[in-house]
Amino acid sequence: MLQQYQQVIEQYRQRVYSFAHYSLRAREDAEDVTQEVFIKLWQHWRKIDQARLGAWLMRVAHNSVIDHVRRQKPGKDNRDQYSEVEEQEAESDPGSEVESETFRLELQQAIRALEEPFRSIVIMRDIQGMSYEEIRECLQMSESQVKVYLHRSRRKLRENRRLREIFSAATGASLPEAGSRADKARQSE
Amino acid sequence: MSLAKESQCYFVQLQIDSFLDADLTSQQQDVFMAHIHDCSACAAELQFARQLHDSVLDLPLLECPEAVLEPVHRLGNSQQPVSRWSALWAALEQLPLALRYGLPAAAAVVLTLLLAPQFTQDPAGNAELASQPSEETYSQEDVVMALRDLNTAINYLNEVSERTETMVGNRFVIMPLRESLNASFERIQDADEALNNGPI
Repeated sequence: MLQQYQQVIEQYRQRVYSFAHYSLRAREDAEDVTQEVFIKLWQHWRKIDQARLGAWLMRVAHNSVIDHVRRQKPGKDNRDQYSEVEEQEAESDPGSEVESETFRLELQQAIRALEEPFRSIVIMRDIQGMSYEEIRECLQMSESQVKVYLHRSRRKLRENRRLREIFSAATGASLPEAGSRADKARQSE
Repeated sequence: MSLAKESQCYFVQLQIDSFLDADLTSQQQDVFMAHIHDCSACAAELQFARQLHDSVLDLPLLECPEAVLEPVHRLGNSQQPVSRWSALWAALEQLPLALRYGLPAAAAVVLTLLLAPQFTQDPAGNAELASQPSEETYSQEDVVMALRDLNTAINYLNEVSERTETMVGNRFVIMPLRESLNASFERIQDADEALNNGPI
């Protein structure tokens, strides 16, 4: 049992940690979530259907992330010091490479700012490459619901004002504002 | 911008995700691309959507620091006997029955023999003995050495007593308690399992 447990940790540690990292602002929170998930795995080991272990782990990670988000005080910025330093460095240096780094960091912030289940779905599908079937099982919703939420998540990201500004500044392309008539029509859709 | 053009832009922008996921039919793709060629705003929107899409896909999976999982691994390993006394008890369990119980019994007998005179001697006799002047004289060094030997003997006796207590306690108190607690935990787990079908 112990050997199997260790194998499962090795197999899923990257997936669980990445999910928590892209969902939460502070690295410490992501680490806490990862620990919690694997401790719960140990506690419930005998009850878990081994064939659905991956889905179980991601469901626990998802619930644990939601708990952490709820525990965060409203308005309190829990970003860790390292990410702040990274952002400052990216903003202070000129050049297209840094522009893309700034874009990447802003994108991560935009993903973290998404509400549930938009955030989890975009992380699971686009970053972690999970199948619709796996996501459906983790989040306990239908496959068509997953697709609809994913579509809306991407659209919400495209409407992020800061990302549009960075992109326009870097490429010189003139993007219509996120609040234009077409966007308003989309929002009211 | 005319209403028809705006409407076209609206529909094309709705199709951007499907285009990027290659979910459009060839006919839809032709219409989509024709509009993109004619409309700079939608072309810019597509470029932005593509950049965003690629950037999300490029975000790496992150390696969890080993230190984070250390307590988790410790939890797994805690099933093995770790304490010195547990190891000693496990070694004792391997001994033949006579030795397993003989050792604590022998220790108890030795203790009894050593301590018994203190309680059985007549206190009055002791007082009388103490009042008599001693014929022998002892140097300061002899007294210090005797005291040191006495302390060593007391320490040894304390240690033997402690080990005996631990062994007897383990056998007759801790192990039955542990078994009883484990049985209770299992009953609780079974009840919990019956109540909740899901793990959460």
